[in-house]
Amino acid sequence: MSDKTILGSKKVLVSGGTGFVGSATVRALADKHPSCAITIIDRSPPRPQHVVPEKTEFMKVDITSPSEVSKALQMIRPDAVIHTAGIVPALADRFGRRVEREVWKINVQGTGNMLDAAAKSGVEAFIYTSTCCVTTDDMRLPYPNIDEEWPTSQTSLIYGESKVAAAEALVLKASSSHMATCSLRPSVLFGPGDYQLVPSIHACIAKYETPFIIGDGLNLWDVTHVSNIADAHVLAVENLVTSRTAAGEAFFIQNNEPITFRDFCLVIWAHFGHVPPFEVHIPEGLAYVAGLVCEMATWVTGRTTTLSRGSVRDACAVRYASGDKANAILGYEARIGIEEGMRLSCEVRSHSKRIYTHLPLICLMSMAGVSG
Amino acid sequence: MGFIGNAIYLAFHPTQLRSIIQWKVWHNPPHERNAKNDTETQIICYKFLDQTSRSFSTVIKELHPELLLPITVFYLVLRGLDTIEDDTSIPLETKEPLLRNFKDFLTQDGWNFTGNRPEEKDRELLVQFQNVITEFKNMKPAYQAIVKDITDKMGNGMADYCVKAATEDASVKTIEEYDLYCFYVAGLVGEGLTRLFVEAEFGNPALMKRPELQKSMGLFLQKTNIIRDIREDFDDERRFWPKEIWSKHVNEFEDLFKPEHKEAALNCNSEMVLNALEHVEECLFYLAGLREQSVFNFCAIPQSMAIATLELCFRNYAVFERNVKITKGDACELMVQSTQNLNVLCQTFRRLTRAIHKKNTPKDPNFLKISITCGKIEKFIETIFPSQNAEDAKRRVSGELSKEELEKRKAEAENKSDVFFLLAIMGVIILIVAGVMVAAAWMLGARFDLAWQEIRSGNFRPPAPKSLTHNEL
Repeated sequence: MSDKTILGSKKVLVSGGTGFVGSATVRALADKHPSCAITIIDRSPPRPQHVVPEKTEFMKVDITSPSEVSKALQMIRPDAVIHTAGIVPALADRFGRRVEREVWKINVQGTGNMLDAAAKSGVEAFIYTSTCCVTTDDMRLPYPNIDEEWPTSQTSLIYGESKVAAAEALVLKASSSHMATCSLRPSVLFGPGDYQLVPSIHACIAKYETPFIIGDGLNLWDVTHVSNIADAHVLAVENLVTSRTAAGEAFFIQNNEPITFRDFCLVIWAHFGHVPPFEVHIPEGLAYVAGLVCEMATWVTGRTTTLSRGSVRDACAVRYASGDKANAILGYEARIGIEEGMRLSCEVRSHSKRIYTHLPLICLMSMAGVSG
Repeated sequence: MGFIGNAIYLAFHPTQLRSIIQWKVWHNPPHERNAKNDTETQIICYKFLDQTSRSFSTVIKELHPELLLPITVFYLVLRGLDTIEDDTSIPLETKEPLLRNFKDFLTQDGWNFTGNRPEEKDRELLVQFQNVITEFKNMKPAYQAIVKDITDKMGNGMADYCVKAATEDASVKTIEEYDLYCFYVAGLVGEGLTRLFVEAEFGNPALMKRPELQKSMGLFLQKTNIIRDIREDFDDERRFWPKEIWSKHVNEFEDLFKPEHKEAALNCNSEMVLNALEHVEECLFYLAGLREQSVFNFCAIPQSMAIATLELCFRNYAVFERNVKITKGDACELMVQSTQNLNVLCQTFRRLTRAIHKKNTPKDPNFLKISITCGKIEKFIETIFPSQNAEDAKRRVSGELSKEELEKRKAEAENKSDVFFLLAIMGVIILIVAGVMVAAAWMLGARFDLAWQEIRSGNFRPPAPKSLTHNEL
């Protein structure tokens, strides 16, 4: 299956290829299939924090413009498209509806544009980067070990994610004998090039936020190292240009090592030599009320606060998925475990002098449910 | 602790007492041994079973009659082998052939062994070993072959170990050696038992195709014992903790017991626990393959005791100072939970895994590994017994109700209307009774009009009786 010649003479287009997931996917593809021709389309050119191999082509394309997209695809004529471009509303906006229109435009219309143009230019394989959160709809319920049979919701409270679900539905519906499509659903992402998750967890040390635990701290989450989701993209392309057993399917992709979010943070802090001196357990109910108060404050003052009922529920949620389907059909296995991935992330971080945006832990927890 | 000590302890720990009472009162053995038809040699065998093992004899004696005797004999044979190996007074020249040929003695009528030193606690078993041999020969040939094969493997394994101990350093160095040692001591027993279960059709034959599962069953128990008994073994100059693990934390094995290396000792202890926890998933998987209640109980009780012991020992410095043990109440609670079904047992495992998880600290170099291992166990339990399924989730999204929910709702509505009906009847009765009383009072001449007037003018109480004044005489 993973014969290096499969994609040898193929052209692959990666949208959002200068981003976190996109650039990692380009690197993985170039590593495994050196003779494969890769073109990146993105709004912004390659940046130093997301390195892409030198021989990849870059084209500046705005995916919300149908004409630009179709022009680019007609010109490149790729055999496969990996569509990683998308937007997830940042942090505080996650539970609000401020960026509603933009999210809709990029995630749903943008994906639609890509699908139309791809079908017209004879693309064989189309892979979409979704998120595991398309399934976790009703936030009051736990989601232990969910599989792909679970329903997705397009009316979720979490606006950005619901739009991803809508886009995913478009992609899966478009699968045909001409163009096979599939969707990959990673969980919380971390790894090199992550300027949000690890840095903001690190920032909690300076703000004395490390002792606080909301809920029992035993709820399990999935995390995904970015090179693992990159591997999954390569496997999906290989599948869709050969056996096509993944056509029209969605797959949960994660490290398959569910971990409590609390422990994930503790490990990062420990890497920087910090152990919380004591622990304060905040009962979920109390935090929920505090979230409600903050939301009312937002409503009154118009300023967004970081704490909300949604973010509290996020912090206490159980969300992990089964990796069986991805393993059976794509042959996916996490190559980089959490431990190794975390070590790499933290090493990069301690060598760098960059000043990161400081985000409170609470908002970080809400963000953690979102993949970039 | 003594009886009074126990009584005081239990008086202050009512939940423990409750567990003990529950176990004693409510536990119904799936099979009870019928001692009436036992032969003389059988009675002797069961007597030795009681003497040599307190913990195992209860569960063995509740086994299905088909396997009761074979497993008793199997246990006694291995115990006999162990008694020879443990006895340091027997010189190697005598010991080695005894261990290697032990399987042949099983078919030699009247064989016994009197060469043990008097202080060896199970000496008597070997002195009267001819009884075990008689029972061995009465077993089905298939069972005999299994017991003999395992005795052969274990006897040779022990002999190899003794030779190695005499000629070179026998301390456990690598994790691989540690696993191998545990395999000889406990893993082989697991193999023998599994073959007996499958032969008797009490176990899924697929268990034979995945030998790593039964290997894990044995290794998990043995590793837990080794972690718990660290102090006792150290005092007896035995070392089972592999150097590959302890050398990461201390320079010399003895340092583990020095107070100045307390942190290092705890970290070493947690790495040992982590090593044992890696077997849990396979143990649960194995238990899912058992088909008979008594066999399930027989396998499940030691496993739940082991995870509870592991939880007790995890990052507990007391293990380096003395022998720690789970309390009798906890043991009874675990036995109750291990003798129902796999689901109940899994919930126990989940509870204890979480307890271990809670004691995990980021100061520990293996913090993340332990956290992930605990998470994986929980995920595994969730795969065998999902707490929710996709069908329910779909219904929830579409707003439909499941059959049970609909029925429940209907029953609730019925209950509600019943309650309303009852209340209404009571109201009517009260009205009637009140009406009758008022009517009766009116008939008897009560002046409601005067009463009404008084109330309207604000006199709610009857006028106070005039106070009696005592005139001076």
